[in-house]
Amino acid sequence: MGWSMAHGTTDEARLGFAGTGAVLRRTFGYGRAYRGGAVSAVGLLVLWTLTLLAGPLLVRRAIDEGIAKGDGSQLNASIAMYVVVALASYLSFRFAILQLAKVGEAFLRDMRTRVFDKLLQQSMAFYDREKAGVLVSRMTSDVDSLQELIQFGLVMFTSAALLLVGTTMLLFFLSWKLMLLCLVAMPVVTIASVKFQRDSNRAYLLVRDRIADTLSSLQEGLSGVRVVQAFAREHIESARFAEANRDLYRTHMAAVRIQCWYLPIVEFAGAATTAVALGVGGWMVSEGEMTVGTIVAFILLLSSLFEPVQQLSQLFNMVQSAAASLNKLFSLLDEPILVTDRPSAIAVHGRAPIVIEGVGFSYGGGEPVLSNVNLEIGVGERVAFVGPTGAGKSTLAKLIARFYDPSVGSICLGDIDLRDISVRSLRTEIVVVPQEGYLFSGSIAENIRVARPDASDDEVREALDRIGVLGKFEALPTGLETQVQERGNRLSAGEKQLVSLARAALADPSVLILDEATSSVDPGTEAMVESAMETLMQGRTVIAIAHRLSTSQRCDRIAVVAEGRVVELGSHGELVAAGGHYADLYTAWVSGLGGRF
Amino acid sequence: MKFGPREAIALTATTPDGKSELGDRLRSSADGVEGSSRAGWALIAATAREEWPGIAFGMLAGLLYTAGRVAVPLLIQLGLDRGVNDGEPLLPWSLAIVGAGLFSACFLGLRRYLAFRNARIIEARLRDRIFAHVQRLHFSFHDANATGELMSRGNTDLQHFQNFVTLVPLAFGNVLIVVMVTIIMLVLHPLLAVLALASLPFVNVLGRMFAQELNPAIMRVQQEAAELATVVEETVSGVRVVKGFGAEPVQASKLAAEAGDVHDAALVSSAIRARYLPAMELLPSIGLITVLGYGGHLVLDGELTIGELVSFNIYVLMLIQPLRMLGMIVANGQRASAAGVRIAEVLDTAPAIIDVGSPTALPDTGELGRVEFRDVDFGYHPAATGAGVLRALSLTIEPGESVALVGATGSGKSTVARLLPRFYEVDGGAIMIDGVDVREVGRRELRKAVSIVFEETFLFSSSIRDNIAFADPEVDLATVVRAAELAGADAFIRELPDGYDTEIGERGFSLSGGQRQRIAIARAILADPRVLVLDDATSAVDPAKEHEIRDALGEVMERRTTIVIAHRPATIALADRVVFLDEGQIIAEGTHDVLLATNARYREVLAADRDVADEGPV
Repeated sequence: MGWSMAHGTTDEARLGFAGTGAVLRRTFGYGRAYRGGAVSAVGLLVLWTLTLLAGPLLVRRAIDEGIAKGDGSQLNASIAMYVVVALASYLSFRFAILQLAKVGEAFLRDMRTRVFDKLLQQSMAFYDREKAGVLVSRMTSDVDSLQELIQFGLVMFTSAALLLVGTTMLLFFLSWKLMLLCLVAMPVVTIASVKFQRDSNRAYLLVRDRIADTLSSLQEGLSGVRVVQAFAREHIESARFAEANRDLYRTHMAAVRIQCWYLPIVEFAGAATTAVALGVGGWMVSEGEMTVGTIVAFILLLSSLFEPVQQLSQLFNMVQSAAASLNKLFSLLDEPILVTDRPSAIAVHGRAPIVIEGVGFSYGGGEPVLSNVNLEIGVGERVAFVGPTGAGKSTLAKLIARFYDPSVGSICLGDIDLRDISVRSLRTEIVVVPQEGYLFSGSIAENIRVARPDASDDEVREALDRIGVLGKFEALPTGLETQVQERGNRLSAGEKQLVSLARAALADPSVLILDEATSSVDPGTEAMVESAMETLMQGRTVIAIAHRLSTSQRCDRIAVVAEGRVVELGSHGELVAAGGHYADLYTAWVSGLGGRF
Repeated sequence: MKFGPREAIALTATTPDGKSELGDRLRSSADGVEGSSRAGWALIAATAREEWPGIAFGMLAGLLYTAGRVAVPLLIQLGLDRGVNDGEPLLPWSLAIVGAGLFSACFLGLRRYLAFRNARIIEARLRDRIFAHVQRLHFSFHDANATGELMSRGNTDLQHFQNFVTLVPLAFGNVLIVVMVTIIMLVLHPLLAVLALASLPFVNVLGRMFAQELNPAIMRVQQEAAELATVVEETVSGVRVVKGFGAEPVQASKLAAEAGDVHDAALVSSAIRARYLPAMELLPSIGLITVLGYGGHLVLDGELTIGELVSFNIYVLMLIQPLRMLGMIVANGQRASAAGVRIAEVLDTAPAIIDVGSPTALPDTGELGRVEFRDVDFGYHPAATGAGVLRALSLTIEPGESVALVGATGSGKSTVARLLPRFYEVDGGAIMIDGVDVREVGRRELRKAVSIVFEETFLFSSSIRDNIAFADPEVDLATVVRAAELAGADAFIRELPDGYDTEIGERGFSLSGGQRQRIAIARAILADPRVLVLDDATSAVDPAKEHEIRDALGEVMERRTTIVIAHRPATIALADRVVFLDEGQIIAEGTHDVLLATNARYREVLAADRDVADEGPV
């Protein structure tokens, strides 16, 4: 977005010295592959800094050796050296930028893929725990803040630091007495810089919050404009917005005020030290302790003493927020992976019964969601899981798909424990069709191909045809190549479901887990969804998480899950006759109080 | 689009004024925008005029700051020549430098403060204006302009505008520096001045070329980064699908490709930096070498003093920054004027739906809520010929009557609902409420009289209570609760963590679609309109729960004119009368049962909409 998002690091996010050290060490560890490149980049920056320092020295040489002694050839020699230095400066700066970008961007590219691969390896438990928005922001705003540092800040920050050190050393070398006098100003500038860095960091965090507030007021005022007008509240909303806007103005000005006292201090420090150098230096010249060229070099170098301090204090926030981002990325890389293949994992093929034995499960060691569940599902059998929300029926289905591993007990496909099967091959045998069809950007065909990336166009069409919906999608103006995210092409909830079912058809698993939608999809396509689902179920083992009696009625057996256990098991007829939970639900349904569990 | 961080640094870290080097050394916020336009500059001029005293003071501060700064090298020169060389007392010169430094430092702060203050005031004022204006603009404007588009007016465009306004007084100071320094150098030694300054204009030229080349490159990096973000976002939100089908390798290779693209784009932009930045550093060095070489010989020949040589050197250094920045301000000005054009476009759009000079009040006695459509023609795109959405539609609804509008998608039933509160203007015919043409009624009064509940529920990020009391924020809790009860929302609201004070929306509690719709209905009920329009307002409500609302709505509908647009037979059956629309015309009227029995097309439309068979009792 186009707001000026300031750099700021919150106090919690800010790393201590130890933390910064750890991040640095870690970065160097990761950076091993780029070490050669990094060393040469820094080498070039050092060279560039040296050329910057050489300028005033050459002026001194020209004055003392040439002009003061009336020696034109010495003057010319100094000029020639200056030309060489200027060219060296040009080249070293140029290659430093290129080299640093090369190393930095490569590091960043690898960081991106590495973090993303790590995310992909994580189990569902991880995704349940972490907010999607936070994960996305790791890969976007955190990586972006590193990118920005590499693109804009790193050259300046490094060279400012080098220049500060180099200038200080050179000034001492030129005249340590004069330098000591000038250093009197240093504590003032340093304290002011530290205070500036802190205050401006805080001020910009505030600005950032106010910007976000104003932005969301703006957003809300615009997306809700129809409601606002429908209730004739335009004037009130405008007044409310003006208030948020005023707050933003105030925080902006508070941030500006901080700069307004800081910059003059640095400016004045420059002038004051120049005055000292001229006054005291001039006296030293008259005492014969110093040459005129040295004073001149001294005065010229003083400007590269305070500027780097100022730059460092301004870039510090950028570096700090990049370090904080890097730290977050590292901690993401450190996350353990819960569901992985055992080294001995094998691939499975073909149909086998599912055997659940003594399974118990809790999310992250909390309250048990399932306890002592035993159930055997035969090949080609259809079993419905029914029960109230939160009873554990979805969890049980996820364990069968091995989105999680059971805390106790075991789930076997045939006689092989799921944990001994490679995740890859398990995913081709057991497929989950989620409640809501999720679409990726791209064409309809690409979306279906998610189930089997190597499938040909014909295979995709065949999968659609098998569930009887090929005609529906081909009827679209651009057929299966229709881009689903483009305006005007948005698929309805029912159509998304159909894509989701087509994926399952393409994957052609032996076990199908259907998570039935709780709310009805658009009436126009619901009938189609139903019939596609029916076709898809043919000849497969089916586990349906049912919300409707119409679904459970069609299954061979029904498992009623309540409070983490299977409390009833049997066919529709048997359970109705048995007069338990299921019979109650059934009675409620036929008496017309509602059709869902 | 992510301008943010870059711009931000331009504010946090740097100062577009002379002092800070890094401001534009490595990043230039200039934008290659073609075609500045008169409307943009006009807006810039108009807003600047409003703030003229601030801008004038800012420029004055800039002038004084510049004077102080330019004096320092002269004082150094005099100190060196008279003090160091000729042995006169040095102290006065040192003190003078301190004085000049103090003087310029004070005005540096003041100039900066004034520059930003003016710019921020202008920014805030314009943003207020944009918001208030957009709030008043008609529906068809909002239909044609996506929210995101408008957001960027009040956001990115304003930012560009603000940047430029900030730069103006700073640029003025820079022009002054360039002028004063050039004059001083010419006075000191004309030929040396010309030689020293010869290479410097190229700094300006290079600065502009740099900005123009860099900007698209940066845009591309941002574009590629956005594409990468899409892959991440989709993978994370669709992780169940990705994991369910074992599609991790596919996503991983997608991301690797995107990361490669970002990498390549970033290297392109670095290559541009590498090409221009060192060159822009080299040019002043040429000036410095010339000063030292030619000037040095002049000193040897006794035509120039050492002090003058040094001050030439310092002056050349002093010019680099202003020249670079002046290159930037041209590009910035172009960008600001383009942004100004886009802002002016919005501000210049006149609201299409406005009150007549002396609005007629709706009658407030007798039987109220009579609605009449007389030969109404309407189309969303007036320019498009032929098929209007409504064609000569006439319909009368008596006070207190409830009417269900039924029709296939595109039949015009929602349009009927949207015309009544005058969200759009009819193309022909008239719509009357209680005998008054809606165009004659003041909008405030009209929209108090007609409340509409949209199919797509929009709730504000505030408490549930505030949302329901939207029409009348002053109302007491009992009234809010009563409205919620009538909408069948009270029960679930009470179960929420903070009941009626529960915050909802983006950062608050997230409600289901059905719950949101019920809150929207409560909001309309609280407004107590004489005509209530429910546009598919219960579509997301779980059918199992709909009967609760249905009972409550029955009570609401009894007391006022109600127009219901619905698919579910049970909801349609609530109405006294069904009006069946097809292609913008009424093709049948009657009770639900009669239409069901006699009209085949009606049965067809309902069947297409009907919920799945064994969905429970109707």
